[in-house]
Amino acid sequence: MNRRKTAVSIAATTALGVSACGGGPTALGDDQAISNGKLTLAVVTDMSGTYSALTGKGSLEAVKMAVDDYQEKYGSDAVAQEIEVLSADHQNEPDIANTKARELFDRQGADAIFDVPSSAAALAVADLAEEFQRIYINVAAGSTDLTGSACNEYTYHWAYDTEMLARGSAATLTQRGEKNWYIVYPDYQFGQDMTAAFTTHIEANGGKVLGTDATPFPNDNFAASMTKALEIKPDVIATMAAGSDLTNFVKQYNEFGLAEAGIELAVGAMFDTDVESIGATQMSGTLYTTDWFWNQDDEAREWADDFKARLDVRPTAVHAGDYSAATQYLEAVQRAGTDDADAVAEELDGHEFEDMFARNARVRSEDHRMIHDSYLTVVKEAKDVQEAFDYTELVETIPADEAFGPPSSSCDLG
Amino acid sequence: MTTFLQASLNGLVSGGFYALLAIGLAVIYGMLRVANFAHGAVYMLGAFGAVILYDMFGTPFWAALVVVPVVIAAGGVVVERTLIRRLVPLDPVYNFLLTFGLALIIQDLVRLNYGVVGQPYAKPAALEGRINFGPLEYPTYQFVVLIASIALTCGVWLALNKTKVGMVVRAATERPSLTEAFGVNVNVWMIPVFAFGVALAALAGVMAAPMRSVNSAMGADIVIILFAVIIIGGMGSVLGAVLAAYLVGFLQELAQMYVPAAAGATTFILMAVVLAVRPSGLLGRQEAAR
Amino acid sequence: MSVVIRVSSMPTWGRTVLELRHVSAGYGEATVLHEVSLQVGQGDVVTLIGRNGAGKSTLLRSIMGLHPISSGSIKFLGRDITRLRPHRRARMGLGWVQDDRGIYSSLTVEENLRLPRVIGANAWAEERLFGTFPVLGQRRRQMAGSLSGGEQQMLALARVLRMGADVVLCDEPTEGLAPVIVDQIAEILREVASSGATILLVEQNLRFATTVAHKHFLIAEGHIVDHLDNSDVIARENDLLAHLGI
Ligand SMILES: Nc1ncnc2c1ncn2[C@@H]1O[C@H](COP(=O)(O)OP(=O)(O)OP(=O)(O)O)[C@@H](O)[C@H]1O
Ligand SMILES: [Mg+2]
Repeated sequence: MNRRKTAVSIAATTALGVSACGGGPTALGDDQAISNGKLTLAVVTDMSGTYSALTGKGSLEAVKMAVDDYQEKYGSDAVAQEIEVLSADHQNEPDIANTKARELFDRQGADAIFDVPSSAAALAVADLAEEFQRIYINVAAGSTDLTGSACNEYTYHWAYDTEMLARGSAATLTQRGEKNWYIVYPDYQFGQDMTAAFTTHIEANGGKVLGTDATPFPNDNFAASMTKALEIKPDVIATMAAGSDLTNFVKQYNEFGLAEAGIELAVGAMFDTDVESIGATQMSGTLYTTDWFWNQDDEAREWADDFKARLDVRPTAVHAGDYSAATQYLEAVQRAGTDDADAVAEELDGHEFEDMFARNARVRSEDHRMIHDSYLTVVKEAKDVQEAFDYTELVETIPADEAFGPPSSSCDLG
Repeated sequence: MTTFLQASLNGLVSGGFYALLAIGLAVIYGMLRVANFAHGAVYMLGAFGAVILYDMFGTPFWAALVVVPVVIAAGGVVVERTLIRRLVPLDPVYNFLLTFGLALIIQDLVRLNYGVVGQPYAKPAALEGRINFGPLEYPTYQFVVLIASIALTCGVWLALNKTKVGMVVRAATERPSLTEAFGVNVNVWMIPVFAFGVALAALAGVMAAPMRSVNSAMGADIVIILFAVIIIGGMGSVLGAVLAAYLVGFLQELAQMYVPAAAGATTFILMAVVLAVRPSGLLGRQEAAR
Repeated sequence: MSVVIRVSSMPTWGRTVLELRHVSAGYGEATVLHEVSLQVGQGDVVTLIGRNGAGKSTLLRSIMGLHPISSGSIKFLGRDITRLRPHRRARMGLGWVQDDRGIYSSLTVEENLRLPRVIGANAWAEERLFGTFPVLGQRRRQMAGSLSGGEQQMLALARVLRMGADVVLCDEPTEGLAPVIVDQIAEILREVASSGATILLVEQNLRFATTVAHKHFLIAEGHIVDHLDNSDVIARENDLLAHLGI
C-alpha cells in the first residue's frame, strides 16, 4: 500500500516537472521514440523478507534517484520526458516473481526491471525478459547462471556474483598464505554454488579445503561447526550463511574462541546491514569481498549522503548497484534515442564507463556480465569506527579483468 | 573424545533451550488443551524485550531476565483471558488459526518496527570468555545457560511434583473435567499456568539474545521443532517434553557433527520412530481422557 | 419399545434434592437425551438402568455440568443450577464417580485423595477412609496408576467420600470387577447411604442394583421409559436382562 503510493507520487512529481518545463519539448509527443509516451522502470524486490534490508525500498529509492539525476542532467533534452517507477514485492518466491514481472511487462508496460534478489526469482524474471523482449538488469541475485546457461539477449548482470566473491576472498586470501580452509554453508543453491566456487579458487592457488559442513537453512546453532573447526584448526573458516544465520554464525565464532585459536573468519557474502546487526565489536577482523562500500571514496560518500537524506540509512552495495544500473540504462536510452529494447541493448553492449558504483567498468557483449573492480575488505576494529555503518576497510583492490570469471562457454550472445 | 564431549555439551545446551520452551508449551497444552503456535513468537518477544530495555533504559541483562518475562507474562494473561480461553470448547482448527494468526501478527509488528535485520545485544561482561574442564574448553555463557536451564527444569519438576499447586496442575492436565467435578476451578488455574508457560518462553528469549540472532523471524522456525519435541515427549507430559527436548538437542548436534546431511531431518526421523513404537509419545498416556 | 412414560411425579422418600425437567442433550447433531425429567429425594438410593449407549453416562455428566444441555433445567437443593459451572455444583455438594473411575495416574494415591475439595460436614476424615479401605492406606505413596482395577474403584469411591458430597453420582462402579470386590463395593455404598447421603447409581448388574438401591429408572435411547421398585425388578428380571442385552 505504502509502496503503491510512492510509485504514484513519483509519477506525479515527474508530471509536475514536465509541466514546469512549460509544455515540454518535441520529445514529449514523439510516440516513435518512447513507447506509450512514457518510460517505465520497475523494481521487483523483497519488501519485507530476509533480503528486504539489503534490497527492498532502498533499491526502489536508488532507482528513483537515478531517474531524478537523469532528468536534472538532461532536462528538456531528455529522450524520456515522462518516467514512471513502479515496484513489486516478490516475497522471495520465484512464482510470485514470475507473476508480478509478467504483469509489469504485459499490463503495466514496464520497459526494464531491476534488482530481483534471490537467484531462483532472478532466473524466473530473466526468462520473462526474453519472452517479452524487454530489459532486465539483475543487481541483487548472485547466480552466475544469469550470464551462463540461462543468459539471454535482454538480461544483464550488474553487480556481485558468486564467482566474484570467490575470487575476491578465496583466491586473494589463499595467495596471501592462508592455505587451509574449512567451509560451512547452508544447504541450498547459493551455499552450494559458493562452496564450489571457493573450492575451485582455493585449490587453483595451492590451498586446501580441509572440510566442508552443510548446515540446515535457516539455522540458529552452529556449535557443531565450531567444535569441528577447533579440532581441524584451519587457517580460515569461511561461512556462506547470510542474514540472521550469519549473525548466529559470527556470535558463535566469537563465543567458541576461534579467533583466539588463530582461525580467521571469511564471509562469503556480506553487507553493511549484517555488520550493523551483529555489532562491529563482534565482526572486526572479518574478511569479505564486495564491489562497493559507501565510504570508499568521496564520490560514493556524496551519493550515500543523498541516499541517507532520503531514507535515513546508509545504502548497501546492492542499492548503489541499482542506481548504477538504472543510470546506465537511462544513458543508453538517451544515446539510442528510443526505449526500444534491442536498440538499448545495442547501446549497452560493449559500453565502457565509470560511475559512482562501477570502476573500470565494461559491459561484456558476450555474456552481458558488467565487469568492474571489486574489493577484498575487512571489518574495522570497533575503536576505528567513526559513525554508524562506518565498518569497512579496504585490503586489496581486484581489477575488473580479474574480478569476474571469463565469459561462460555455455553462453554465446555473439 | 574431546570432540565428542564437546558435541555432547553442544547438544545439552540446545536441548536446554528446547526444554525451557517445551515445558511452557506442554503445560499450556496440558491444562488448556490449546496448542500454542504463538509460543515461538513469545520467545522472539523475550529476546526483543531485552534489546528494547537496553536501548531505552540501559537495563542490564540480569534485570532483563526478571523484568521481561514478568511483563510478557502479564500481556500473555490478557491475551489468554480475552482470546485463548475462548478456544477451549472449540474445534482444534480454531486453536491453530488463532494462535498461528497471533504469531504472525506479533512477528509482523516487530518487523514493522525493527525490520528483518538482527538487533545487536551484548553478553554481560561477567560471562565473557571460556571455561576449561581439563582438555575441554567451553564458552562460559553457553555453559551458564546450560546450568540455568537444568536448574530451571529441576525447579519446575519439583514444583510440579512436590507442591499443592503442582498437584492441581498435574490433575487438571490429566483430567480437566473430572478436576472441575472435584470443586477445583480449573479455569482460574489456567491463568497462572498460562502466565508461567509464557514467562518461561520469554526467559528463554532473553537468554538467547546474547548468543543468537535477535530478529523477528527467530521464533518461527523453532516452534516447529518444539511441536515435534512435545509430540515425541507425549502431548501434555511435562517430563516427557523435557526428556524429548534434551534428546532432540543431543541428536541434532551429534548428527551435525558426524552426519551433517541428516542433521535437519533427525528430529523428524526421531518423531516418526517414536510415534511408530509409541503412538502417544515417550511418556504420553494412551487415551486422551478429558 | 415400550410406551414413553414421563416420570416427573414419582414419589420420593424425603424432600427433593435433585430435579431434572425436560433435559435434552446430545453430541453435535445427534440428540442423546430426550426431555428427561426425574426427581431424586433426600436419602434416596436410585439406579439408572439401561443398555449400552442409552445415555446414562451422558445424563450424569449433564447433571454435573460437564456436558452442555440443549434444553431443560436442573435443580439442586432447590436452586436452579442449569448454568452453573461444574466446580460450583461440586462445591454445593454434588459428587461424581466417573465411569472409567477417573484415576489420576500421575498423582499418588494420597494426592488423589487430597485433590478434591472438602465440601460437606459429612466428609470422611483420612483415618476413616483408610479404616474402610486399608489397601489405600498401605499404598498411599504409590502412583495411583499402579493400583489394580478393584483398588482403583475403591480409590474413586474414597475420593467422593472425602469430599462429603450430599448427592453422589456413581457411574457403573462394578463394571469389570470380580464378585468379591463387587460385594465390598455394595457394602460401602450401603454404609454411605445409611449415613444419609443420596446416591444416583448407573448400573447394569441387576442383582447389585437391588442390593444397594430401592428405586430404579429404566432409560432407553435417551428416554426415561419406566420406574420400578426392587420387587418389580426381581419380578421382571428376565425381561429386563433381555432388554439390557445381557
Ligand atoms: N463423545 C461422544 N461423541 C459422540 N457421541 C457420543 C459421545 N459419547 C457418547 N456418545 C453417544 O451417545 C450415546 C449415549 O452415550 P452414553 O455414554 O451416555 O451411554 P451409556 O448409557 O452410558 O452407555 P454405556 O453403558 O456404554 O456406558 C451413545 O449412542 C454414544 O455412542
Ligand atoms: Mg456409560
